Amino acid sequence: MDLLDKYKETWSKQVEMPCKFSTLEIYKMAHAKSSSIVKWIFVIGILEFIFMNSLYFFMDMEEAYKQYEELGLESFVLYSQIVAYSILFYFLAQFYLNYIRISSIDSTKQLMNKIIKTRKTVRNYVFFNLGYLGLTMIVVTIASININIDHLNNKQILIVVFIMMIATVIILGLFWLFYQLLYGILLKKLNRNYKELARLEKELNETNL
Amino acid sequence: MQKDLEAEFLSDFEQNQNIAHKICRMYTTDKEAHNDLFQEITIQLWNNYSKFRGDAKFSTWMYRVALNTAISLYRKSTRTIKTDDFSDVAFKISSTEYDDTEEKQLEALYKAIHHLNDIDKALIFLYLEDKNFNEIAETLGISNVNARVKMNRAKEKLKSILNP
Repeated sequence: MDLLDKYKETWSKQVEMPCKFSTLEIYKMAHAKSSSIVKWIFVIGILEFIFMNSLYFFMDMEEAYKQYEELGLESFVLYSQIVAYSILFYFLAQFYLNYIRISSIDSTKQLMNKIIKTRKTVRNYVFFNLGYLGLTMIVVTIASININIDHLNNKQILIVVFIMMIATVIILGLFWLFYQLLYGILLKKLNRNYKELARLEKELNETNL
Repeated sequence: MQKDLEAEFLSDFEQNQNIAHKICRMYTTDKEAHNDLFQEITIQLWNNYSKFRGDAKFSTWMYRVALNTAISLYRKSTRTIKTDDFSDVAFKISSTEYDDTEEKQLEALYKAIHHLNDIDKALIFLYLEDKNFNEIAETLGISNVNARVKMNRAKEKLKSILNP
């Protein structure tokens, strides 16, 4: 008899345990609040949507619009905002649909896949927002240079472009760091298990090739 | 309707709560974490119970939900192995006469299992519960071949920990 088979026999004999919970205790537990990863991802995701959109409230929009007018960018701002809001609703819908599709009845791998997908939706939304911010910065810079082109020399134009590039890199870098920390901690265990589950499949595929 | 469902769930779960306790004992190393994981498993089972509808055996369905909770949904990482022995929640053996060797054997087994990674724990658990490879592959969402290879590796690992 194999060593593990002996242990298996012993295993099958454990039926009663002193830490058994009563029906009332189980009832109470079933109605308690979940603190699963999925719930955290959902809450953090919603907060990210709110945060990305509330940025506009902190800015003096009237002042900003005046500046856009001076630069001749009213129509750019109008159309780009229509596009940005349609995309926001698309992402929100995707995020919600991904979330409700997560089910602990799925197979382990499928479940992990869905959790990772839900997180990626928000990440993509934030990247879209940063891209939009970057695009606006580029358009504004070009428009400003265009208007003042007679008063600027080549060196000054280069300095403006350089400063803008540095600012973009810093902002993107900060967001990347924030993401690494936030989701890195939250999903460390899940990512590790997902890789472990997918590892052999990759090995098998490679040997078949 | 809700009350009926609730009563049915409570009776189903009470009869099978051993499954959840065994998983908790494999994936956690102290009583607090054990109960914490048990609670999350209970929540997940109850939240999905209306979708269960008896098309499978309750216990089969429970394996999947409970393992998913331990592997993917439960937040705390159990990588750090505490030295607490688990005597206060130790399991009773169903032999007519209390047999110390079986209890010791179980304790050694759980201790060894704590050294495995989360996926290997699931594989070993399903092996100990006498599940076939189709069921194991389906529960984890991997191919049958993959499940077989992984199982062999997990068993080898466990053996080398038990009998170094």
